[in-house]
Amino acid sequence: MALLIAIALFVAQAINFAMLLQDRRAARYETATGPAVARLVDAIERANAGHPIERTRGRLHQEDVSPVNPAGEHRPDVEQGLRTELAEAGLKVGKIETEVRDLHRGDPRLRRWNPAAADRAVRMGGELIIAVEQPGHGWLVLSAPWPRAEAYLIWRLLSQTLILYGIVLLPVLWIGRRLSQPLRSLAVAARNFVPGEVDVPVEERGPQDLRDVIAAFNALRLRVTAMLDEKDRMLGAIGHDLRTPLAALRVRIESVEDETDRARMAETIDEMNHTLDDILSLARLGRPSEPLTEVDLAALVDAVVEDFRDLDNDVTFEEAERLKMRLRPSLMRRAVRNLIENAIKYGKSAEVRIVADAHAVSIVVADQGPGIPPEQLGNVFEAFTRLETSRNKDTGGIGLGLALARAIVRNAGGDVTLANRPGGGLDATITLPRG
Amino acid sequence: MLNAEPMGETPHLLLVDDERSIREPLAQYLTKQGFRVTQTGDAEAARTRLTAYAIDLVILDIMMPGEDGLSLCRHIRETSETPVILLTARSEETDRIVGLEMGADDYVVKPFSPRELATRVKVILRRAAAGGARQHAPDSGSFAFAGWVLKSGERALVDREGVSVPLSTGEYNLLHALVTRPRQVLTRDQLLDLTQGREAAAFDRAIDNQVSRLRRKIESDPKTPELIKTVWGGGYTLAAEVTRL
Repeated sequence: MALLIAIALFVAQAINFAMLLQDRRAARYETATGPAVARLVDAIERANAGHPIERTRGRLHQEDVSPVNPAGEHRPDVEQGLRTELAEAGLKVGKIETEVRDLHRGDPRLRRWNPAAADRAVRMGGELIIAVEQPGHGWLVLSAPWPRAEAYLIWRLLSQTLILYGIVLLPVLWIGRRLSQPLRSLAVAARNFVPGEVDVPVEERGPQDLRDVIAAFNALRLRVTAMLDEKDRMLGAIGHDLRTPLAALRVRIESVEDETDRARMAETIDEMNHTLDDILSLARLGRPSEPLTEVDLAALVDAVVEDFRDLDNDVTFEEAERLKMRLRPSLMRRAVRNLIENAIKYGKSAEVRIVADAHAVSIVVADQGPGIPPEQLGNVFEAFTRLETSRNKDTGGIGLGLALARAIVRNAGGDVTLANRPGGGLDATITLPRG
Repeated sequence: MLNAEPMGETPHLLLVDDERSIREPLAQYLTKQGFRVTQTGDAEAARTRLTAYAIDLVILDIMMPGEDGLSLCRHIRETSETPVILLTARSEETDRIVGLEMGADDYVVKPFSPRELATRVKVILRRAAAGGARQHAPDSGSFAFAGWVLKSGERALVDREGVSVPLSTGEYNLLHALVTRPRQVLTRDQLLDLTQGREAAAFDRAIDNQVSRLRRKIESDPKTPELIKTVWGGGYTLAAEVTRL
């Protein structure tokens, strides 16, 4: 941005100076030719009236040969102008030649001039030699000051631009910094914003507009957190409100005489409660209350499998090496449990194994069930999806388990994938990044 | 058997729950189980009942309008030794731990099985009657032994490096039973008794199996166990100093 401003300033300056140069050139032309014409006319008229022109002194003198060096710098524009003006004055002259010469402080001629004029001439940096041929009378030679404007103007352009930079660019840079630093910290805060996590508000810095934006962001963040708190409270209330009638029902079924009936009712209530737990966990996942802990993942999977085996489920686990991971153990247990539960529900049994390499750990839960039609592999993760068509219908339950498992694993930076095995059965795989 | 005791000895329970739909059938059930039950719907009334009657045990709902169960539980703990069982609708582990830190003896999570609740009431009353010191609730606190820490709330074992080793429910219950009774010989029957009932899960699998699984996890050499020792003809014992954290 600073570079852009610098370039813009420079271009503006250059345009200014080009116009100024144009002006200067026109003025120079005027100052060089105007007096020269007057002098020439005056001298020639006086010569015609019988006053000879001094040969050596003064600015105007007569020479036999043109002093103009053919290799020097000529000014055809001046030559043309002089010819026109002399013709207008009714004077006939021969060739007109011009040459621009540098004028240095050490020039011997300067000593004869009065000091003020000499000084001015030197500052101009050059002189214009005009030689006008009078056919038969030699050459009338005249010297006029010729400002060496270009170099001088370029220096001025540079120095003025530098001054401008000093005056404009530095404050611009300063303002830019004042803007960009708070903006950057705002961007960082927005990027790192974890809803619900209590965080220090972004410091209100910079110009008023920016302070307003930061204040608005801080307020927004508080509002989001407040909304999530509200959601948590709502869910807590829903949980309470649903658990209470469930609990009442659970107490009441003790009066049911029939043992089998009572057991079935208790089972149904447990199932409902389990689903309620899943719903609450899924909704609360964005704000886990459980801290990250160093856990032996192999032991975690083993413990979950063991719980299933204790309930007489056909679940096997290939014992694995100790595998240290940083995660939320209760949530991960739940994810593994849900996958195994799903495998048992649809495939009657589950084979669990852990595959670890340097970058990732996979927990594979393989069942012997019918698998999932390929075109439906994607949407089984949608909460409340159940594949009635191919999977066992009477097992009940909604497809919340898989959705929750995937949400938990994704929350931990991994993913859950499903794949049909060529020989039949489904592989549900939790993949977690390592380290 | 409780039913065989004379009327005056009938344990008197105070049931505090704002939900009539739970309180009334539960009171009915517990009465059928041979308890004398006084029920109230709020903490205020519970306080007056506590001073008016000789209450043997309080069953207390945590979530109540007005003064909540936790606060009442703290009050009971400050003023008496009366055991408390909490009824909680919350499944979050931390909430349970808070309740137990308030001095409750046990908790059940709604929806609970009334039978299980009755069993726990009996266990706690039996313990109190035996004159034993009040036991800490089974799920509170941590235990350090031989470089390991058993964390009750998380149901996990933490090793020297601070890495958590999750345990299955069965393993946890067994280890908990051992750790809370260090250097005592526990027979298989006792262990079965101690590890059952906490969860609805059936623990038909032999205690021996659980022990060998635990040994694989915590012994440096599972073939010559140093921590969980087999007592010839008896059962198992934990041969280590246990510090309650």
